[in-house]
Amino acid sequence: MRISTRQVITKIMLPIIFALGLAVSSQAFAGSRLIGTGGVGAIEGAAGGGLSPWALLSSTASGQEVGSTATVSRAWLDDYRLTVEAASANIYDRVEVSVARQTLDLDTLGGELEQTIVGTKVRLFGDLLYHPWGIWSAGIQHKNLADDSIPKALGANHGQGNDVYLSASKLIFSAVAGRNLLLNATLRNTDANQGGLLGFGGNNRGRDWVAEGSFGVFMTPKWVVGMEYRQKPDRLSAAQEDDWQSLYSAYFFNKHVSLTAAWLSLGDIAGLASQKGAYASLQATF
Amino acid sequence: MRFHRYATPLLMTLWLTGCATQHTDKASLYTRLGGMQTIDSVVENMLYRVADDPEVVVFFANTNIDHFAEAFATQLCDISDGPCQYEGPPMDRAHQHMGINDAHFNRVVEYLANAMADEGVPLAAQNELLGRLAPLYDDVMRLQ
Repeated sequence: MRISTRQVITKIMLPIIFALGLAVSSQAFAGSRLIGTGGVGAIEGAAGGGLSPWALLSSTASGQEVGSTATVSRAWLDDYRLTVEAASANIYDRVEVSVARQTLDLDTLGGELEQTIVGTKVRLFGDLLYHPWGIWSAGIQHKNLADDSIPKALGANHGQGNDVYLSASKLIFSAVAGRNLLLNATLRNTDANQGGLLGFGGNNRGRDWVAEGSFGVFMTPKWVVGMEYRQKPDRLSAAQEDDWQSLYSAYFFNKHVSLTAAWLSLGDIAGLASQKGAYASLQATF
Repeated sequence: MRFHRYATPLLMTLWLTGCATQHTDKASLYTRLGGMQTIDSVVENMLYRVADDPEVVVFFANTNIDHFAEAFATQLCDISDGPCQYEGPPMDRAHQHMGINDAHFNRVVEYLANAMADEGVPLAAQNELLGRLAPLYDDVMRLQ
């Protein structure tokens, strides 16, 4: 059953997303916001950079439009492999709803961890390009593990939890060698261990506020490179947890298809030291 | 922290390239855009794109297009430190009660950006002009 799910993702979903994206390329019903202003799909389903949600809402829908995205992502780490399938909708550039399913294959330890994340993000005020303070959004993510036995064996208290976050993003025109600079900062309140894949709560402490930040330079209007940093709590004494970071490059073929590649350094995960690896993510936007 | 291993060289590179640019780019934005000839071409190119968009072109139904093109080119020349003085109406009055929404605004920005790319304006000059125009969003939308 599990194997067939994975085959569905790679053999069927990927080509469908790519084909749908190309089929509607440069046709009508693209959102009217500039290309790239919807970010890409973060691993928790929200529009963001990959590791962290950003304040901007998914797709390029403006205030009078709706948009949607479908994303498949995979990270190949030293001892793990993470697969994410996600979808989101942007309603009038005010509300973003998203759903993501994460599967972490424990290549070295054996077995897998799976969680579903349902998220909502609301634009509080502002605009990425035109408002002097940028765009500000608040969001919530409800996370639910399929099987909490491994996380609880490591000391987690719960198999589900909620993150809430406040995020701000701003594009600064012509900031770096004439290129536009994208800045993001997110403050998150969470009780999730390793984003939730190792459960929620623990013996070290309760909920924490953590900071996440990123920048990206638009080398061209369609190509952004940058880095992301995500502070993490460390509340399981049996499995030390480190901050996450990435170097990323995202290319927007058009308003409908983007491809992101990244280098990840995620630190210790579930007792296995210094997890590094590559990341790829393909997003289709309608 | 491991962070610094990546961040420091990257930020240094960005900072150094930024400085290098600042020292060499002495010319005004107007000159780097290509002067009045290029600005006129950009405005014309943009207006062809507007004309192809039924949802945006309606705002120009009662507009003398030649007059508009000249006024907009003068405004771009003025805002890019060129030898022009924009003497048309302020942006809030000019767009008063037209019913312009974010989607319309974004589409016109995209047409301008694509027109600049089409007419060979260097990316740095494109970005700088968009940056100078961005604050006008508030004025255009104030009296909608």
